[in-house]
Amino acid sequence: MSIQTTQLRKTYNQDTDFPVHAVKQLDLSIEQGEFVAVMGPSGSGKTTLLNMIGGIDIPSAGTVIIDGIDICALKDKALIAFRRDNIGFIFQDYSLLPVLTALENVEFVMQLQGHSEKECRERAITLLDQVGLGEQLHKIPSKLSGGQQQRVAVARALAPSPRFVMADEPTANLDAKSTAELLDIMQQLNEKEGTTFIFSTHDPRVIKRARRVIVFEDGQLTEDRAQ
Amino acid sequence: MLIKLAWRNLWRNKLRTAIMLSAMAFGLIGVVTMIGFMNGMYGNMIDNAISWQTSHVQVHHQDFVDNPETTLAIVEPELITAELDKISEVIAWSERFIVDGMVASARSSRGVRVNGVDIDAEARVTPIASSVKEGSWLPAEGRHPVVVSLKTAQRLRLKLGSKVVITFSNAEKDVTGAAFRVSGFFSTPSSNFDDGNIYVRRTDLMAMAGIDGSHEIAVLLDDKNKMSNALAISVRDKIRLITSSENSVRDWQQIQPMLASIIAQMGPSNAILLGIFVLAMGFGVVNIMLMSVFERTREFGVLMAVGMQKHKVFALIIFETSLLGVTGATLGLMSSLGLIELLQITGIPLGNMAEGLGAFGVDTTLYPQVAASEYRYIFITVVLVCVLAALYPARQILKQRPVDAMAEKH
Ligand SMILES: Nc1ncnc2c1ncn2[C@@H]1O[C@H](COP(=O)(O)OP(=O)(O)O)[C@@H](O)[C@H]1O
Ligand SMILES: [Mg+2]
Repeated sequence: MSIQTTQLRKTYNQDTDFPVHAVKQLDLSIEQGEFVAVMGPSGSGKTTLLNMIGGIDIPSAGTVIIDGIDICALKDKALIAFRRDNIGFIFQDYSLLPVLTALENVEFVMQLQGHSEKECRERAITLLDQVGLGEQLHKIPSKLSGGQQQRVAVARALAPSPRFVMADEPTANLDAKSTAELLDIMQQLNEKEGTTFIFSTHDPRVIKRARRVIVFEDGQLTEDRAQ
Repeated sequence: MLIKLAWRNLWRNKLRTAIMLSAMAFGLIGVVTMIGFMNGMYGNMIDNAISWQTSHVQVHHQDFVDNPETTLAIVEPELITAELDKISEVIAWSERFIVDGMVASARSSRGVRVNGVDIDAEARVTPIASSVKEGSWLPAEGRHPVVVSLKTAQRLRLKLGSKVVITFSNAEKDVTGAAFRVSGFFSTPSSNFDDGNIYVRRTDLMAMAGIDGSHEIAVLLDDKNKMSNALAISVRDKIRLITSSENSVRDWQQIQPMLASIIAQMGPSNAILLGIFVLAMGFGVVNIMLMSVFERTREFGVLMAVGMQKHKVFALIIFETSLLGVTGATLGLMSSLGLIELLQITGIPLGNMAEGLGAFGVDTTLYPQVAASEYRYIFITVVLVCVLAALYPARQILKQRPVDAMAEKH
């Protein structure tokens, strides 16, 4: 169970005079259970990479193979279902539904999978408890702090029991304390449940906690180290 | 969950939604009141025409219709009346002996249609007896009573008990005349009718004319549906079967083709009224759905990223617009219903307008009418248009890939 990219490339504005090579010829392999930080300056292509291996963006060339499935070849509908069941997303701006409560935000993605209401409720409460929001179940996002919202987002990403979680600069908007709390939670989940986390960042405190660091510069992998 | 989400999304921009809903509600109140007003006016016109002029079915000698000569009486009227007695939907019928003649007072004279009627039968078929404003309806006793309209009385300067002379050509084409005494003044909603009709007893008129019989049989049916002449047609055809081909049997829409055209244009004219409103509303809904969908482009991108299938995103948008339509239509129609119910009690006084409309046989106070089927029709149209209005914004969103949708900044 792994993510495998071969000769992965993404070029924006391909047919114009100023093509942007966001990701260049990338061969990368990430195993189940890893806790990986993708590091690099702004504009180096981290977001583009995460989007492609998360199946929400299409590469210009090359393949992304997850558990033997070439996700680039999947049809729209199958791809959405694949993402729903296998990949969780955590976004920099949290991206919770503002009209739903914390609990409903988490339940919602499980309901998309077709679980019963009772199942969704139980798992959502368990997860929100785990991220320390057992007391805030019925608050809407705007009534929560940034750190709390991001923890709801973590619960939401994990609710459908995905095997991979893509987190694009999850701590960029958080203060030091919230960042540390969030990393604790992610690390725990990684260790306990074996969920693979791939997160991009340029925050040295976050990089310190990663077990594998991929350094990205100008669309190219310049360093890949375990720590 | 999807519906809950849609409902909450609808209220995200409370002011915008409230403004749209108010616009829909007030627009609908306007449309429904207009439709009710038109229905009330035309319905009243038809009611009055049926009760005063055409009844539901009339029988004449076929030539009498174009050339009302005294000699052109209905052939074998007793066969017809015997048949009418057998038909259960027939409430009443009235045999009339009709001549066109002159009525003269000491001051002046006027050309009128003299209706020779059987007192009780006529009172059952038309509201004439109850429309006598002064004096009384034709008495059974007494020599040569006549009932004229208030208008004719004014023109001829008549008082109750005044003497008038009625003259006309009898069966031998000789002018015949006799003195009558005014027993009452009537007034109907139609000024034209009042101008041209007076009532005497049929027996008196037959004696003057020198022949017996009747020129017109007017039949009143137990028919609540004034928008259709179906029952009248069936009774008409039953009479046609048993009567001589020299007689003409017509239903009310044949007698007064204008009534048929009024009914025929009511549907389209109401539809146009509704159409204009719905079109305006449709653009309004397109506008707010475009705004509300496009300002959430990123959110829809996230929904697709976390695994919401496109048809569900589509359904979400359609639910939102449907809820908007249902809420707006319910608000609008409920308020309209209340207003119409109120106007049903108070009526709309037509004031000066009634004078002009009097010629068409419209009462001075109008009671707007809106059928349950019209409310249903409006409701469905409004909701449908809301759904249609959201199709374009919904399609635009679904065309996007999640990353592109998420890349949109707002
Ligand atoms: N939709 C896009 N269209 C054109 N260029 C883009 C688009 N998205 C990203 N880029 C460019 O691709 C490069 C990589 O961007 P990105 O993956 O967002 O980097 P990072 O996440 O490391 O900041 C940048 O030069 C950026 O300007
Ligand atoms: Mg980025």
